[in-house]
Amino acid sequence: MPCTTAMAKQLIDTYVAELPPTVQKAVHQSTATTTEKRYQLLGDDFTDSDALRKLAGSIRQHTLEHLDTYLAQAEESLTARGAKVHYAVTADDACRAVTEILLSAGITKVVKSKSMVTEEIHLNDYLANHGIESVESDLGEYIVQIDGDHPSHIVRPIIHKTRGDIARSFEREGLGDYNDDPETITRRARKFMRGKYLEAGAGITGANFVTADTGRLVLVTNEGNSRFCLAPAKVHIALVGIEKVVPSDADLAVLLNLLGRSATGQQLTVYTEFINGPRRHDRPSGPEQMHVVFVDNRRTEVLASDCKEILRCIRCGACLNVCPVYRQASGHAYRSVYPGPVGAVLSPLLAGDKFKELADLPKASSLCGACNEVCPVDIPIPDLLLRLRRRAHEEHVPSPGTPPMAGFALLGSHPLIWRSAMTFGAAKDYLPLDKMPVPYLGSWLKTRTLPKWRGGKFRTWMKSRHGRNGGNGK
Amino acid sequence: MTAREKVFSGIKSALAPLPEREARPAVPHGVADPQWLAGEADNVALFKKRAKVAGTLCFDTPGGCLSWLYEQQAKTVYLPEALASLDAKFAEFVQLTHDYTRGRVDEIDAALTLAHGAIAETGTIILTDESTPDRLAALAPWTHIAVVRKDTIHRSVADALAAMPDDPNIIWVTGPSKTADVEGILIQGVHGPGVQGCLLV
Ligand code: SF4
Repeated sequence: MPCTTAMAKQLIDTYVAELPPTVQKAVHQSTATTTEKRYQLLGDDFTDSDALRKLAGSIRQHTLEHLDTYLAQAEESLTARGAKVHYAVTADDACRAVTEILLSAGITKVVKSKSMVTEEIHLNDYLANHGIESVESDLGEYIVQIDGDHPSHIVRPIIHKTRGDIARSFEREGLGDYNDDPETITRRARKFMRGKYLEAGAGITGANFVTADTGRLVLVTNEGNSRFCLAPAKVHIALVGIEKVVPSDADLAVLLNLLGRSATGQQLTVYTEFINGPRRHDRPSGPEQMHVVFVDNRRTEVLASDCKEILRCIRCGACLNVCPVYRQASGHAYRSVYPGPVGAVLSPLLAGDKFKELADLPKASSLCGACNEVCPVDIPIPDLLLRLRRRAHEEHVPSPGTPPMAGFALLGSHPLIWRSAMTFGAAKDYLPLDKMPVPYLGSWLKTRTLPKWRGGKFRTWMKSRHGRNGGNGK
Repeated sequence: MTAREKVFSGIKSALAPLPEREARPAVPHGVADPQWLAGEADNVALFKKRAKVAGTLCFDTPGGCLSWLYEQQAKTVYLPEALASLDAKFAEFVQLTHDYTRGRVDEIDAALTLAHGAIAETGTIILTDESTPDRLAALAPWTHIAVVRKDTIHRSVADALAAMPDDPNIIWVTGPSKTADVEGILIQGVHGPGVQGCLLV
């Protein structure tokens, strides 16, 4: 094997190397602040927030393991209140369903409220190809859209952009002369977006939760854009992953309390909207039609896998914020819609036969466990990462950047070889290890110095201890 | 097979091999209440305190609200029919309108609307299509003031969820519209109100 340091790198490392220091600093700062706020608020408000996370996890796990029942119930509740429910097996099916609804209502302009599932199925591109203008209304998502970029965080989509970047984009789009004052940027977006809301025929949203017994779609935003999408529009289309269902309103007390605190360190997100149907004769304010498209897009495959717990996720972003790898790498390094620890699990699973292309992501983790500790639905992310590593191994996915461990396996399983290695180990202190022709060792030692060798003494110590305590160690 | 059948058969076959399924956990009422809630005796006082934390201005009297609007130089103010009892008081100082249509979105400086209720724990205002049919009026003007009857304030989020009204649209408003998308800097009034107020009656 040729000896180059490039070979010893994981794919994610190449993204880290290319990330401008300003972006890395911004990502680090913002994720660290949010993590701190979350920690503070949960501590102030709950004596045992861990118990609450476990309860939320159990609510979600229970729902997933009875998804056939709850999904059917949600459908029934929504239909009874006048909404039309659709199902989409693939991303393409979902996009087609939306397009058909729009075209049959004669709508060519829509506004969208932030939704991860619409990112996942690339709805905007599909609509554009069918002559439908779709404008993202969340400020961050709008900027991502006009830049032809991708969100780099599930809650803060433009965590990787500076105000200067945004000001240049706004200038290019004709939203005014260059001005990088955040307040001015926001006011310009406000003004521009109003026109879009008022001329749109439909508002497209996702949903954070759907209650089975009352058929409520729960939408949370801080900007109020989802509300604005649904105030003047004639048609509301919601795209909802099938796993978003929860049994009842009472469960929301737990989930909503955790979501705001985990995502942004707020007791509640500013706007929490509950929608369970179109306008009625006695409530004539809302859209005339409400469509709910339940999207599978390989979720049933995930449900059948040994990583089904990841479907509990409520997309709060806390695991991204706390993750030392995400903080260094930012979101694009994960090369998929869902970045960070949740993405390292979910993206390869949702990739289907492209699993191999993302199979390196579960390896981009030190398994420190922080993601599990902050997760409001207690997803054992490190365990799931290990399961995916095993799957990659079983499917013989080549693994650049992972040192071959066969040598260690030989050492560790043969006592005689191990003992001799321990005896001769002290020689390491006198060898120029970083110059050895072993690629992984070389690149690893470039940035580290090893402590002095102290190995091989444990057995001697153990023996003398046995002697002192009468031979049985007790 | 229809798409629906495919999705459901996918779910069923995914779940079939499970030896047992997670039981439904008990979710006792109030299990997610903040620990300090029990020590708060008075709903109205708590609501005011928490509304302040959320960034919502509270007014105790229509006069107080009016003089604040006057100070802010609000010229055109929207009042729905449901709040006609305030007309006489307001008409003296500001230009009143009862009509809120799409075309006038930017002409109105402030809107008062009637709220369905509120939540003390979080300082949240509850709007529904029944109480607040004018969705745009409660959203588009820079200043929105919700009129909340003191006897409609729920103590906790859990209480509010246990008493959800029959309405296709219920919205909880906890502070003014905000974003931190640009470099994490907090800016109020992105799409919705930059000033969120509440008049307690
Ligand atoms: S995995 Fe957990 S912590 Fe990460 S986004 Fe999902 S719910 Fe939040």
